[in-house]
Amino acid sequence: MTTLLSARNLEWRAGGRTILGPLNLDVLQGECLAVVGPNGAGKTTLLRCLTGLLRPSRGELLFAGRSFATLSRRELARRIAYVPQIRPERVPLKVEEVVMLGRYPHLSPLQIAPRSSDFAAVEEALAVVGIAPLRARPIDELSGGERQAVYIAAALAQESEVLVLDEPTIHLDARHQHDLASLLLRLKQSAERTIVLATHDLNLSSLLGDRLLALAAGRALALGRPAEIVRSEVLEQLFQARFEVVRGGERPVTVLDLGA
Amino acid sequence: MSSSPVRPRIALLLLFGLWLATLIVAPLVGSQPVSLADVARGEPSAASIFWQIRLPRVLLALLGGAALAVSGLGFQTLFRNPIAEPYTLGISSGAALGAVLALRFQGGAMLGLPLVALASFAGALAAVSLIVGLALRREGVETSTLLLAGVAVSLSCSAIILFLQYLADSTQTFRMVRWMMGGLSVVGYAEVLWLLPWVLGGAALLLALRWELNLLLTGEEMAASRGVDLGRLRLKVLLATSLMIGALVAIAGPIGFVGLIVPHMLRRLVGHDHLFLAPACFFAGGAFLTLCDAAARTLMAPAELPVGILTALLGGPFFLWLLVWRKSGQ
Repeated sequence: MTTLLSARNLEWRAGGRTILGPLNLDVLQGECLAVVGPNGAGKTTLLRCLTGLLRPSRGELLFAGRSFATLSRRELARRIAYVPQIRPERVPLKVEEVVMLGRYPHLSPLQIAPRSSDFAAVEEALAVVGIAPLRARPIDELSGGERQAVYIAAALAQESEVLVLDEPTIHLDARHQHDLASLLLRLKQSAERTIVLATHDLNLSSLLGDRLLALAAGRALALGRPAEIVRSEVLEQLFQARFEVVRGGERPVTVLDLGA
Repeated sequence: MSSSPVRPRIALLLLFGLWLATLIVAPLVGSQPVSLADVARGEPSAASIFWQIRLPRVLLALLGGAALAVSGLGFQTLFRNPIAEPYTLGISSGAALGAVLALRFQGGAMLGLPLVALASFAGALAAVSLIVGLALRREGVETSTLLLAGVAVSLSCSAIILFLQYLADSTQTFRMVRWMMGGLSVVGYAEVLWLLPWVLGGAALLLALRWELNLLLTGEEMAASRGVDLGRLRLKVLLATSLMIGALVAIAGPIGFVGLIVPHMLRRLVGHDHLFLAPACFFAGGAFLTLCDAAARTLMAPAELPVGILTALLGGPFFLWLLVWRKSGQ
């Protein structure tokens, strides 16, 4: 597999403190990389660096061998789409309007209206995510799960090779978590998207991820297949909490060990 | 943005109709009513009042209202805050301070428009930079921070303006005070022609940025991740709005709250897509200020009320209502 996205000696500092790095990371084409780690480990900072939203204090980021520094924001957006965790409370737009805004990096500045290719991409994104019936609804009226689906559809309409998601399942109930996880699985398998996601949900990352990056205090503690990372020794070191592996195999499942 | 928005199109058409109607009817109204038939017949006194006195003033109001409403819209979207507008942010005060400085040191006449305008631009830009420096954060701006920054800038500018008035002789002081009330009592087309390119240019730029402004509605992080260069967008919007406001204030003084009332009402009518909202603000803002000015000319006829007093009387309560309504979660 070829490397699509890579970080070389990546470091991000704020207020004289190193929040992230130094870190080396290769994201392979078509893989799902899950970033796990405790609060404040720098997961979101890493994602924001990988999407080009944060400029690293030191080191370099490359997309298919090209430095981020040589790519404009629009060029980056055509390659990497981001679904942030924190979003404004009120967004006075309809579902299809939000999804159409995903087409922004493909619009030319002189274009007066979206082209048929833009409408086609929006239709496809709505269909893939399964929210076509919601298209005319104001997004503020939707449930948390539906809203998350809309932003993922918008990121899909962006037609970028890499999809980066920050805590996609947080605040979602079991059914919506299931729907979202199976959507991500479908995207990876059929649409050959490369996915990077940060999550607190260890089991989700084990079930979805081809590789897991365990991030602690901004540094890579471990990187490997789920079976290599989701082990009580690694998790204990990572979270400073005890875990019990309740199902082994390639994609292990764990619960917190409360010692009862 | 969406495939077939019918409502905003109809609303925009209606607003354009209102704009046209205002353009024709407003010059007929005033301390001495004029009939359209007389004007058409070329009756000398009616024609002179219509063409020489009232029409330039109406055109100025149409352009000025457009500048205020469009820049209010720009500020509100940029700061993600519905109370942002040139007056509450202190941009008008900054421009006014610049203009008063120029008036003071060239003898108080409005003749040297370019100098007053330049000073007014500079004041508006300085105020904008201050506000941005004080209040801009990563995800939108806190209402309280924005308000306080605006109040701080306004108060500082007002203090300096008062000081300048204190130093000036009584004729100059009277001119400055009248001008600070915000009024449109001009004669002739020179001011109209001078204001035209700034307002049309600024409004056109904001319309060209409609995708970026729409994206800002989904948050700055989201907009940036879709490919919007936030720094350049901010610069363009602030420059366009400051130039419009600077140009207007140089002629008409600070006129408040039009930029607050008009975009707010239009969002309910037209929706949030800037493709429709920006032109809607252009037409409705112009019509609104023209109607306010027509009222200001007739309410106390034959005396004329400065239109700024009227918009402030309407806008103050509206502003309070907006604050309370926002706090109670709509």
